[in-house]
Parts: sequence; structure tokens; C-alpha cells
Amino acid sequence: MIDDALIATLTQQFFNALAIGGIYALIALGYTMVYGIIELINFAHGEIFMVGAFFGLTFLTAIGFTGAIANPITFLVVLLAAFAVVMPLLGLVGIGIERFAYRPLRNAPRLAPLITAIGVSFILQNIVYIWHGPSPVQFPQILSPQVRFSILGASVSYISVLIVAVTAVLLVALQLFIGRSRLGRAMRSTAQDRDAAQLMGVNINTTIALTFFIGSALAGAAGIVYGLYFGTIAFNMGFIGGLKAFTAAVLGGIGNTTGAVLGGFMIGFIEVLSAQLGLAIWAHAIVFGVLVIVLVFRPAGLLGQPIGERA
Amino acid sequence: MKLRYSSALAVTAMIAVACGTGGASPTPRASATAGASATPGVTAAPSGGPSITAVKIGVDLPLSGASVANGQPTLQGIELAVKEWNDAAMGHAYTVELNVQDDAVNGVYNPEQGASNANTLVADDEVVGMVGPFNSSVARAIIPVTNEFGLAQCSPANTAVDLTKEGSEVYRPAKPDQRNYFRVATPDDVQGPAGAQYTYNDLGKRSVLVIDDTTAFGVGVADSYSTEFEALGGTIVDRVSNDYAVDTSFSADLTAAGDAFDVVFFGGTQTLGGGQLRRDMGAAGLLNIPLVGPDGITDLGKGGDEGTFITLAGVENSDNVFGTIAGANALELDIAADFNAAYEAEYGVTPGAYSALAHACATVLLQAIDANIGTAADLAALREAVRASIIGQDTLWSTVLGELSFDANGDSSQKWISFYRTDPSLNGGAGGWVFDKQQDFSVTE
Repeated sequence: MIDDALIATLTQQFFNALAIGGIYALIALGYTMVYGIIELINFAHGEIFMVGAFFGLTFLTAIGFTGAIANPITFLVVLLAAFAVVMPLLGLVGIGIERFAYRPLRNAPRLAPLITAIGVSFILQNIVYIWHGPSPVQFPQILSPQVRFSILGASVSYISVLIVAVTAVLLVALQLFIGRSRLGRAMRSTAQDRDAAQLMGVNINTTIALTFFIGSALAGAAGIVYGLYFGTIAFNMGFIGGLKAFTAAVLGGIGNTTGAVLGGFMIGFIEVLSAQLGLAIWAHAIVFGVLVIVLVFRPAGLLGQPIGERA
Repeated sequence: MKLRYSSALAVTAMIAVACGTGGASPTPRASATAGASATPGVTAAPSGGPSITAVKIGVDLPLSGASVANGQPTLQGIELAVKEWNDAAMGHAYTVELNVQDDAVNGVYNPEQGASNANTLVADDEVVGMVGPFNSSVARAIIPVTNEFGLAQCSPANTAVDLTKEGSEVYRPAKPDQRNYFRVATPDDVQGPAGAQYTYNDLGKRSVLVIDDTTAFGVGVADSYSTEFEALGGTIVDRVSNDYAVDTSFSADLTAAGDAFDVVFFGGTQTLGGGQLRRDMGAAGLLNIPLVGPDGITDLGKGGDEGTFITLAGVENSDNVFGTIAGANALELDIAADFNAAYEAEYGVTPGAYSALAHACATVLLQAIDANIGTAADLAALREAVRASIIGQDTLWSTVLGELSFDANGDSSQKWISFYRTDPSLNGGAGGWVFDKQQDFSVTE
């Protein structure tokens, strides 16, 4: 029996799921791109997302926007400015990490860069710990959660819509960049065969650095929308956020950008569905249960190809 | 072979340790002196010429760094009690001094430091009673030491249930049957039912959504709240357990519960989701629904300060939030008015939240010392007599909180819970907590 209340509830949950799924998706993109190109699981990526949130906080505070912005034009300008400043900054952080923690180990055994990745993640966590302390801090709510619209009986905050829009725009831009641009082609060729690409004149170091730049910039965007949605950020939020996004990347097929976004939204929906069914405490058991089942039947993930285009 | 050698070594070491501690423990004295305790509060004339002319009360509190805010006003409550006791007008034929130890390391209370301090205190022969510690985790480290050496210990602030009740024998490995720890703070398990009564009777709510943070404290208080709320006739609409470390969003939980609830109870602390929950209630347009919680969220901190509930929830969401504190608010307690005035006269500031409770702790110990000092043969006998005369006795001790006694577990006969609510207009719009009322839950209505 489907009544109005149920429809309203499900609509509400649909938007709840879209919001958290979109955040996972944005982080998952970075995991999947880096893995696609150098087959490294960049465990520091979750911390880059966390640093992105803190950069966003610093930027918004610095330009004096700590409260809700009523004017939609001003809001959009401020938001775009935040993205325009934080994303490249995070990209540079990503390049720096690649340059000093991963590049010297590119030909080392697979385990070595994994350990430096864990080291980098501790370093980032500790820097932010010293910078902002152990307690969660408030993120400027430049879009008030009270600004909402009604749909099918549900009252939805614009933040949920904003997150989905940001995710969609960035995914499309990323696909166009990888698929159409020269640099994107260099990335794809590096992913397929690093040596052959080098022989064809592709600058491997630049291409890999570019991959880290884009992946980290996307994590920076995720950090900002996370702050807007949840309202508080903490120095240790990168670990679990990164773990879930990594799961999303594996679920969707690691190395596949569309798969990462699909995986992110799937995890968002599984978590919310678990809560709706009163199984909130089981949400993560269910997420990983689904992951196991998917991997049993499709070892490469939902959209993963055994070999071929990965970036 | 190597493994076998090392395990043999470990066994030898364990035996050595066991022998060492066994040998060091003083022989328990017969507690016959306890029976001779005079009525407390009435000073026994120093007849018979007591051989003991000076005793000490040990103190362990966090007294440095950020912990000063907790420890210093508490210590001053004890100092005031001892100062009053030593006043010549009281006519005591002995002097009382304090042996004060600081359990804070780098400004944060530290259980290992507490245990080390306890060893210092029990090694001081003149210490015949002890006040402290402030934090329950420190108490877990101290009680095994004070228990072994039979030192009566009174905490003004520990609220963890396991310190006195079921399971407390793990903190008394040396002498499980000889309790020495008691407290004037109200244990956490009174908070849940108190919160339920407040929700039902004072707020007039009937349908509650109960959320816990999956910690022992949070689940415990949520359980006892639910039981009492149902007993009163209320309905538990839903019960959600959320581990904030892995799930930072309450939006889906709130949506799933629908609009069937008119109040939310959060069992847990503000940093494990309490603040986020209120924030998500704001995001879901549910600010007209009150949030009730235990002292895990009732931090009494103002908005903007690091890690406070109002900071985490956002001051814009911090109206309509109600919290309990396990203990009396002596500042608002009529009976403690004299104490408050004396404290202010002595130190020039209003008492801290635990000053009066610390004063009460010290007073109980002083009265027990006074009742036994005339008959005790030596300091060791006095220490044991003090220990044996408090817990599980029907003796009513007269303190600044009124008369109280301690049950067989060492819990006070008074079970004060104070109620607070948030007010976003306080502190110049940053938000804060205001006292609402307090109630002694040992008095059945």
C-alpha cells in the first residue's frame, strides 16, 4: 500500500542518498584515476578530501562569509570562488605528495608506495590536528539548510541538489577532458602502457602529476560540499570518508570514472535504505556485503574492464 | 624452546609480583572500633588523651593546564572544609592537613599519574582518608591502590556506574569484600530515568525517538531512559544506534522515523553525534521538536568554544535543547547557601560545580576521623577504622548538601539531578545553557 506519507518519506530519503552519494562519488573519482594510471591505491586521498574541507573553511572565513548568504547571485559567486581557489590549491598539494612520496618509489615494490601513502595520510591528519585542534569545527553555512523546496510532500534542502549538480558537472567535465583533450589522451595512453606512451613522446611525469592534480582537486570540491552539507568538519573525517569512497571505486570498477560515480551513489543509497529499514547500525555490513557479492560475480567491479581504458 | 623459556620467565615474574604485593599489604585491623563511632557532627571531647595529634587527608585532582578549571574549585571546597575544621573554635585536639596530588599530565587528567599519586598517598602514614579523583577513568586506576591499602576514598565528581555497582569488584582485586570507595556524585544510571520524567512531566511529550551513540555510556543511559519513559506511559517511536565514527549523518534516521515523534532523546556525547544530530534536525526543519540528552551533551559550554554542544550544533539550532547533569547544582541549592557565602568570602569567586560536593566529601571523612581518633591505637588503625565506618553504615553525615549516608555500594543516599536548557541569546548571541531546576531522585514522589 503506497500512501502519500510513504511517498514523501521515500522522496526525502532519495535526496538524502543523493547528497551523501554525491560526496562519496567525488572522492571516489580521485581514487579511481590514480589507480587507473599508476595502479597505486592512494590511501592519502581521504586526507586530501579532509584538507580540502579545511581549505574551504579557511577561504570562506578569510573573505568574510561565515553565515548564510541570502542573495542567490552572491551565493553562487562565493561558491564558485571557493571552488576556484580551493580546487587548484588541493591539486598542488596532490602534485606535491606525488612528487615527494610516490615518484621516488615508482619502480619500487608495490608495497612501498602503499606505506608512504599511509605515512602521508598521518602527516596530513597531524598538520590539521595542530592547525585546528581535535574537536570538530563549524563550517560556514553559506547556504542555509532552511532554504528548501517541496516535492512530492518532501521538504528538500537545496544543498542536496547542489551536491548532485556539482558532481554531475565535474564528472561531465572530467569525461570530456579525458576523452577529448590532448592531455586526456596522454593520460589514457599512460594508463594503458606507460613505456609505449613514453616512446610516443608522452611526458610520463607530467601526465601522472596531472592525474594527481585533477583527483586531488575533485577531493577538494568534495570537501567543500561535505562542509556545506554536514556543517561540521574534523581532522579525522578523511579516514572513514576515504574508506567509503575507496569502496565505491572498487564497487564501480576501479580505474573507471563513471563506475566510481555509480559506486558512490550506490553506497549512498544502501546506507540510506538501511536507515529507512531500521538497520542503520548494519549499514556498513550491508555495503560491504554488496561489495563482496559484486566482486564474486564481477571481479573487476560493476563497470570495470579487465584490461584497456582505465583512466 | 625459546617460547617455553620466556613463558616460564613470565610465570616467575608474576609469582614474584604477587608475593611482593601480598607481603607489602598491611594486615587488616579488626574493625571493632567502627562500632564505637560517635554521632557525627557532634564533636567528641578529646578525653582519654589521644596519641594521634596530626592526620592528613589525601587529595588527587587534575590541577594543571586546562584541567585547572575543574580541579581548582574542587580543591578549594576541600581546603575550606579543612580550614573550618582546624578552626580553634571547633576544639579539636589534633590538626588536619592535606596531601595534594595533581593527576594532570600536560594539562589533561591521566589515569597512570592518578595511580602513581595514589601510591604516594597510601605511603604517607598520616593520610587516613582521601578525596578524589575528578574523572571516572582516573578512579578506575586509583581504586585498586587505595583498596589494597584500606584507604577510605570519596569522589565528588565520578559518575561512572561501574565504579560502585555491579562489576566494581574488578577495581578491588586485593580485597574485593572491603569497599573503600564512595562518592557524593550521582551515578549515571539515575540520569536516564530523570530525563524521561522530565520529558514526560515537564515537557509534556509522549512519543520519543531514542538515538544512542553505541558507547557503553550512551546505550546505558538510552536504555534506562526508554524503560522509564514507557513505564510513565510514553511511546518509543524508534530506537536508532549510530556509531558517529563511521556514519556522520542523521538525516536518513530522522526521515525514517517519519513525523510520529514529538521529542528526540540522544544517549551519548556531543562530539559523538549529539551536536550533529541537532544540526541535522535543523536541516530537516525539526527545530520545533525538543532534543533531550544526558550530561554527555550538557557541557554547559557556550557557543563558539572548542567542541561544545552549541558550537557543534550551531547556535541557530541551539534552542529547545534540554540536558541533565548528574549531581546537585549547589549554587541553586537552598541548603548550601551558607557554604556558597563562605566560599565566596574565602576565595572571592563563586564556587565551582563540584566545590560543595568536594566539601561534603571532606566533611564526611573529617567526621569519621573524629569519631575514631580517640580509640584508634595508631595511624594504621585509624585509617582502617575510618574506612570501615562509612560505606554500608546507616550513619547520617551532616554536610553542606544536607544529611546523607552511603549504601553498601558506596553510593550516596542523595541522588541529585540538575536540569538545564539551552538559550541561544546568552553570551552575546553565542548561546549558552541556563539552569532550570534540580531534584533529588532518591525521594520517591
